[in-house]
Amino acid sequence: MELITASAAISYITTVEENSAKLYENLAQKHPEDGETFLSLAKENRRNKKSIEFAYHGVISDKLEACFCFDNFDTDNYSIRTELPKGINYPDALKKLVDIEEEIQKFFLDAAKQSKSLVPDVSWIFERVGKKRAKRVATLESLLDKVAK
Amino acid sequence: MVVLEEPIKKVLTIKNYIGGEWVESKSDRILDVINPANQKVLAKVPVSTRKEIDEAVQVAKETFPMWRNTTPVARVRYLFRLKELMEEQFEEVSRVQTMEHGKTIDESRGETRRGIEMVEVATGIPSLMQGALLEDIAMGIDEFAYRQPLGVFGIIGPFNFPFMVPLWFIPFALACGNTVVVKPSSEDPISQIKIAELAEEAGIPPGVWNVVNGGRDVVSGMLEHPDIEGICFVGSTPVGRDVIYKRCGETGKRCAAQCGAKNFVLVMPDANLDRTIRSCMTSFYGNTGQRCLSGANLVIVGEGLNEHEFNAFYDKIVNAFVKAASQIRVGYGLDENIQMGPLRDTEKKKRLVGIIQKGIDEGAKLLLDGRNIKVIGDLPHDAFLNPSVFTEVTPDMYIGSQELFGPIASIMRAKNLNEAIDMIHGNPFGNATSIFTQSGKWTRQFVHDVKVGNVGINIGIVAPMAFFPFAGMKESFYGVLHGQKESIDFFTDRKVVIQRWF
Repeated sequence: MELITASAAISYITTVEENSAKLYENLAQKHPEDGETFLSLAKENRRNKKSIEFAYHGVISDKLEACFCFDNFDTDNYSIRTELPKGINYPDALKKLVDIEEEIQKFFLDAAKQSKSLVPDVSWIFERVGKKRAKRVATLESLLDKVAK
Repeated sequence: MVVLEEPIKKVLTIKNYIGGEWVESKSDRILDVINPANQKVLAKVPVSTRKEIDEAVQVAKETFPMWRNTTPVARVRYLFRLKELMEEQFEEVSRVQTMEHGKTIDESRGETRRGIEMVEVATGIPSLMQGALLEDIAMGIDEFAYRQPLGVFGIIGPFNFPFMVPLWFIPFALACGNTVVVKPSSEDPISQIKIAELAEEAGIPPGVWNVVNGGRDVVSGMLEHPDIEGICFVGSTPVGRDVIYKRCGETGKRCAAQCGAKNFVLVMPDANLDRTIRSCMTSFYGNTGQRCLSGANLVIVGEGLNEHEFNAFYDKIVNAFVKAASQIRVGYGLDENIQMGPLRDTEKKKRLVGIIQKGIDEGAKLLLDGRNIKVIGDLPHDAFLNPSVFTEVTPDMYIGSQELFGPIASIMRAKNLNEAIDMIHGNPFGNATSIFTQSGKWTRQFVHDVKVGNVGINIGIVAPMAFFPFAGMKESFYGVLHGQKESIDFFTDRKVVIQRWF
């Protein structure tokens, strides 16, 4: 799906955050030994969603070029999935989650770059949320290390 | 394609809001409010009578002493409540604007945000409305100045920003202790009904905020009424100058009339091309060109370039502009990926189609013809007009000199910055202008010399925030004090007291 306007991008991104939160909440139920970590990731997703919505609704006004902030920005260029294949084992699930988080990070940083000149406050929050993804990747990798041992 | 849910599900019957009651008009003239994107009827709005505006003014007048004696702190508490309700209803009121006006959802949300900002700034009235005091102007004598509200104000809204523009004035008028009678545009009155409903829910006392729907009779009723202290108007220059401003002068009313525009956007040789073009798209085509801050004339300036370089620069900008304009996605504003909606109605389209032909007849070159309608989605073409671009436009042509109020760009050339500024000064309007450049020297000269109220530096739409005045010069503004924060002076009178105690 091609994203052209700020509205379309915000809808897509906040859906990704919400679905990610649900994914981690499910994992917390399935793997209670790591439940706390997954729930904190889910909480962060919901916080991200709120921050993004707040940035968009807080600054959007008719001087900003919200309808023209993206150019050739297509979600199909990113393999963002917020669900895991059925029956996947736990280590593979963690590996998959690392891939997902890295892809979402790439998406956020690209979105930030594209929107920087026209909706700078929104771009700033995209960048911040994107950069935070690195920490999440490290958290998931540490869970993977633990499982491997 | 993600089309957002429509909040208006059935045809609404618009009523007047007078003295805290929703009153059905006695008028037998009822107009349809039509969604310009799909031509469906959204509401029936009355063309209220002279008697009905008189009733509303009478109620507002009777309410004034009570409201004036409500403390400023208490008055703004109602506004705090209103602001919270506006935030809660943010999405719904935004979608209503898209449905009744045609603008995109991003634009509607921007309009809603701007409206809320007005309320937020007006909540600062206990500080903003303070007077002045000087102790000891002579030994034992002090002098101080109060600001006091005046009474009833009439607010006349335009069709292009049905939600936001009346809010340039209403929150400030109320916070200062005045009462208001609002006449929304009969083309898209639903937003003002929604905000009045929220005002009622916020507990603003009956008679403080009144709404009377209608047309000329309501406007005339406001202008002639001896109990209206002032009029706030946003609309065309002929009406603002020849009717509102003139009649306010004759009847001794205060007047703030924000009027028409013909905004020049200058592109200097050192401008950042990609960002400039993207910014120009929203400037020229945002709100489908129906705003007094829209870019109208794109002036490509050859400052410091020889003829060959200037021609190459001109071609580069024109090609990039036309390419970007031709790619604008036109359709229903509730589709999130739409960049430009329809015009407000079919009559406006007819007028603009005629203007495009006039441009051709005058000798301008039509590089992109918006009459070739390309719309995303299965929608009737009645009110849609795609972006148009003319080149070889001169400032004396109709399309180069008059306010068109539609998605039509006229491209011009100027040898240097002085010539571009002269072009701007040759036009009777002075609402907004922008320069795209990286040069501080050119910018400084431009800002200093240009006689225009709102000036943008690498900004295509110069929309001042609520805590600045919405400026405007020459035939773009009639009155002394502008809207937004400056209207605190407009809505108050000064009383000077000199005191000595024996």
